[in-house]
Amino acid sequence: MLKYKKALGLLLALLVTAALFAGCGAPGNVTVGGEGGHILKVGWCTEPDTLNPITSYSTESLQLTSLIYETLLGYDANMNTTYQLAESYEYSNDNKTVTYHLVHDAKWHDGEPFTSADVVDTYMRIKVDKLSEAVQFAEHLESVTAPDEYTVVMEFSEPQAFNMAFVVPILPKHIWGEMSAEEIEAFPNNEPIGTGPYKFVEWKQGTVASVARNEDYHGTQPGPDGVTWVLYGNEEVATQALKAGEVDVLTEVSATLFDSLKDAENIVAVNLPSYSFHYVGINCYQDPVSQGNKLLLDKTVRQALAHCMNKAQMVEICLSGYGQVGTSILPSAFDEWKHQFTDEELIGYDIEKAKSMLEAAGYVDSDGDGIREKNGEKLDFRIFTVETTASDVRAAQLLRDSAELAGIKLTLTTMDENTMGGVVYDTESADFDLFVWAWDSDYPDPGYLLGMPLTEQIGNNNEVYYSNPAYDQLYSKQSTQVDAAERKATINEMEKMLYDDCAANILWYQDKLQAYRTDRFTGWQECDGGIIYCPTYVNYKEIQPVE
Amino acid sequence: MSKLKYIGKKLMQLILTLYAIITFNFILFRIMPGDPIRLLARSGAISAESIARIKELFGLDQPMWMQYFIYLKNIVTGQFGISMTYRQPVSSIIAERMANTVTLLAVATVMIIIIGIGTGIVAAMRRGSRLDKTFVVASMVGWSLPTFWTGLLMIVVFGVFLKIFPISGILTPGMQYATYSQVIMDYAKHLVMPTIALIIVDMAQFFLITRSTLVDVLTEDYMLTAKGKGLSPKKALWRHAMPNAMLPIITTLALYVSLVIGGAIQVETVFSFPGMGKLMYDAVLKRDYPILEASFFLMAAVTVTANFISDIFYTIIDPRVKDI
Repeated sequence: MLKYKKALGLLLALLVTAALFAGCGAPGNVTVGGEGGHILKVGWCTEPDTLNPITSYSTESLQLTSLIYETLLGYDANMNTTYQLAESYEYSNDNKTVTYHLVHDAKWHDGEPFTSADVVDTYMRIKVDKLSEAVQFAEHLESVTAPDEYTVVMEFSEPQAFNMAFVVPILPKHIWGEMSAEEIEAFPNNEPIGTGPYKFVEWKQGTVASVARNEDYHGTQPGPDGVTWVLYGNEEVATQALKAGEVDVLTEVSATLFDSLKDAENIVAVNLPSYSFHYVGINCYQDPVSQGNKLLLDKTVRQALAHCMNKAQMVEICLSGYGQVGTSILPSAFDEWKHQFTDEELIGYDIEKAKSMLEAAGYVDSDGDGIREKNGEKLDFRIFTVETTASDVRAAQLLRDSAELAGIKLTLTTMDENTMGGVVYDTESADFDLFVWAWDSDYPDPGYLLGMPLTEQIGNNNEVYYSNPAYDQLYSKQSTQVDAAERKATINEMEKMLYDDCAANILWYQDKLQAYRTDRFTGWQECDGGIIYCPTYVNYKEIQPVE
Repeated sequence: MSKLKYIGKKLMQLILTLYAIITFNFILFRIMPGDPIRLLARSGAISAESIARIKELFGLDQPMWMQYFIYLKNIVTGQFGISMTYRQPVSSIIAERMANTVTLLAVATVMIIIIGIGTGIVAAMRRGSRLDKTFVVASMVGWSLPTFWTGLLMIVVFGVFLKIFPISGILTPGMQYATYSQVIMDYAKHLVMPTIALIIVDMAQFFLITRSTLVDVLTEDYMLTAKGKGLSPKKALWRHAMPNAMLPIITTLALYVSLVIGGAIQVETVFSFPGMGKLMYDAVLKRDYPILEASFFLMAAVTVTANFISDIFYTIIDPRVKDI
């Protein structure tokens, strides 16, 4: 018996030695001392790319940087305008000039005062160096000037339907001002300094990221003492962590796990409208270099394929019912802009219709192999999906099976996302026919998603190589329409046009499935896009600790 | 052939193998379809100017042969550039992950060796006994279970229901520590479940190899002689049986050690452990060339070196080896 005890003792000693070794190396700069508090803990399975807000392209980075940095304007839970670094603003009569009056008492986290020079510098960076995603909104930006320390005037060549002040994070000139565009591109921004309600604490890649309440914040103090994001290897474990109380809220819950959380104690599971869609893209590239099947340039073939998409069944099977059947390119969270399609306009699931359309267009199965052809060319296409996106693979299988009924052969190939990107974005070959993929918008404005199928976006966001001058024209028109009703009319026309052309066939709008605990914080607000991950970030700021 | 010559030959082989691996890695990542910039463009609006700057930053605008020389220079000088995803020096990213992985796998490996070889000896000595059968079945079951499932089961039982051990990461998030010993205790607590999972999964390899070689050796004539000389079973084991059984065990060990750097992707994923396995997996998905190149190089270097050391060990344990 003694021997076993010795052996056990040895093992424990080993563990402790290892921990000692680790203690010197791995944890690095841990906080020793101080007192704990009401820290909001968020569980997620993807981590930020970089904390540089103008070179980052990930939703996760945006979570941190949106709490550390501020924009001039913001949103409340109902998407009404709120003020961050601006305390008021006005438009000129022609809507081309916007004047912002800035808050006077804001300070950068390092103690430097915030002034109009910071705003001018940030906007000029975007305009001149073409940095940041916000560059898409700066096309008509002519000049940014500061008549005094707390006033900024922006002049545009056209009226702006979307005000970029909602999305441009203001950076401190005393840190970013001296850097060249190349330096900014390589700048990891390891210690971000902003004016926001939270100060950056740390980011340990692969584990946690934290921010703490900014006691000198110029606006309303946030409820939590800090926010910590914890990285999990996968959703199953993250869900267990929520149940165990290790975290307070999850950014993403899969449909299968979602049901298991519904009855859990102190946990609320919510499904909310999202800013994302999944779609079947069809290669419409008209350039001779295209390796895509030319039969897909025939709108009839694309519409016949659209008639083979049983979207309602897909929502049931691929999403366990947590989603809405897709129509236009604008997801469900954009309901105030969306066109309500009439039964006549809808291209519904109808195999017979698909058959008769193809028949009428001269696609017949003359050799009896079950595949229709015209002039010897068979309706035989490839369909690609990302192997790890189970819902898309399933959708592609369902489409393949129903297309077969209509006499169209689809061959499914799955691949990793980067490989698919390489194939789809290659303007030299565009070697694909159909794919199933997803898209989402970090912006609450419809302009971003509507801009995807523009001719000028071929090789960039236009993955289906759609090119329609009438659509492009309408896009330019809506981007300058300040009147919401007029803009909506233009947008609806674009939605219908795109829907009818069947280049990007929206399958569904997935619900945002999230879950949060109610025993540590109260006052959670449900927003479009999610409890967190919504464009408002209200829950990071307004929830209060349970006493 | 003298011992020195043997070692020299092995050393040459080591260098050549490493060079071949380095070159292969370079080609491998570049013939993989997809590139890191393309998907950046997908997640948002990116200007042509930004794309050009990013390409320049990572040398992707250079011709292939130039990229290859830069890559070789980087490896020789130990500079691996900056990560495309994180825009941070690769060396600092890898150093931290490596510390975690080495800690986890070193502890686990030592325990796996002790427990695996120990139970292997006991089982071989009592071949056919109930204890032997139990060990064989248990280790086979542990080996066959999907790692992911074993880990998740442990998480649910010990983390969620019993709440004995933390289920993820390396330190409790948001924890404020009064002393460094608390940090170490917290770290050790986080290591327990991944370590046990690794033991359950990988112990069988050592147990089975020890048991089977020892069973062979124990039936050799010289073991009977040893017994006849009046040696106790214990003495006979350590003086005559074990030295002869060590060769295959050392081979298994050398192969296993390469994992200490490469990490254990499954265990790291299920326990959200920030180690090398997870880092490399993510880097492959994102085509983060600098991280891939650095970590594959390190992994290759460690594997090749571990084999080199085990080759030398052979010559010590079995003097005949150098003649082969």
